[in-house]
Amino acid sequence: MNFVMAGRASNPDFMNGVPELLILRLLRENEMYGYEIVQAIRSGTDEVVATGEGVVYPVLHALESDGAIRSRRKMVNGRSRIYYTATRTGERRLAELQGKWTELAGAIQKMLAGAAAVERMIGGRCGETA
Amino acid sequence: MVKPLDALRERLLEAGVAPRHVRRYMKELRDHLDDLRAEEERAGRSRTEAEAAALSRLGSMDELAQAMMGKRRFMSLGTRAPWVLFGVAPVMLLAAAWFAALLILWTGWQIFLPGAETPFVEQPGSIFRLENVVFQFGRMIYFGAPFFIGWGIVWLAARQRLRNYWPAVSVMLVAGLAATAQVHALRPSGARTTGHVMLGFGIGDGAATVIHFAVIFTLTLLPYLAWWWSRRSATV
Repeated sequence: MNFVMAGRASNPDFMNGVPELLILRLLRENEMYGYEIVQAIRSGTDEVVATGEGVVYPVLHALESDGAIRSRRKMVNGRSRIYYTATRTGERRLAELQGKWTELAGAIQKMLAGAAAVERMIGGRCGETA
Repeated sequence: MVKPLDALRERLLEAGVAPRHVRRYMKELRDHLDDLRAEEERAGRSRTEAEAAALSRLGSMDELAQAMMGKRRFMSLGTRAPWVLFGVAPVMLLAAAWFAALLILWTGWQIFLPGAETPFVEQPGSIFRLENVVFQFGRMIYFGAPFFIGWGIVWLAARQRLRNYWPAVSVMLVAGLAATAQVHALRPSGARTTGHVMLGFGIGDGAATVIHFAVIFTLTLLPYLAWWWSRRSATV
C-alpha cells in the first residue's frame, strides 16, 4: 500500500505495517467494505494519510489470507459488496502493531525534542564564540 | 472507464497473479470506482469529470498493479512452481487415469473372459453388450486421458496468460508418455491364476510412435496456438 503523507510519497519501508494497523483498527469496531475503509482512513487522519484508494484491496486480501480479517458478501441496495471484519487473530495483531507504533512514535518524538535541544545548545555556543 | 481496468487485469495475469485473485481485485476495484464516481457526481461534477476524478483517486495503474504483483502469495502456482503444475501434476493425472483404465480392463477380463489368455480378443455379438461397453469405457479413458490432460494444460496456460515454455514442455511430456506406453496382459498358460495387466514404455514401431506423438502433441497444442494467435491479432 503506497501511502502519501502531506502530498509526498513516503518511504514504503518506513511506513511498513501502517496500512494493516489502520485497517485492523477500523475493522475491530465495524464491518466495512473497501470504499468505506478508505474514506474512514482519509477522514480519521484528516487526510494526512491518504492512499491510492484501490491499493487497499491487496492489503485486505493479504490480511484475510493471514486470518486477521474475514469477509462475506452482502447485498446492499441491489449491489453485492464484500464486507470485512477483524477476527481474534486480527485483534491480537492489532495490539502488537499498536504497541510497536506507539513505541516508535514515542522514540521519534523524543529524538525530535532532543534534536531541538541540541540545536538550541549549539546555537548558544555559536553565539558565545561570536 | 472499464478499459484501464481491463488493461490492469491483463497486466496482472501476464505477471503471474492467480486468476482468482485478479477476478476478486477487479470486482472490488469496479465497485470502488462506481462509488467514487457517484460521490464525485454528488459533488456537482459532470459524468465525464466524475469518471476522470474517480479513476485518478483509485490510483495509477502502476500503483494498482504493483500493490498486487509485489505480494508473492498472490502469484499462481504456475508462476511460483511451474514444474509442479506442468511437470508433476500431468504425470500424476495420467498415471491415475491409466490406473483406472487398466483396472477396468483387468476387472472386465476376470469377469467376462475368465478362461481367456488375454483380454485383447475379438468379442462377437452386439457392440452394446455389457462386456463390450465395459472394455470400450476403459479404452476411452486410456486413449482419451492424454488429450484431456493436454487440453487442461492448454486451458490453464491460456487462463494464466502464460507465454513461457512450460505448457509446451508439459504437452510434450504427456504426448511422449502416451506415444510410448504399451499395455501388456498375460495369464500363464495352463495355470489357473489371475492374469496380470502391466504398463510399460518403449519405442516399438518407431514410425508409429512418432506419428502417435505428433497427433497428440498437435491436437492438444492446437487450441493454445489458436488462442495465442487470436490474442496477437486482437492486439495488432
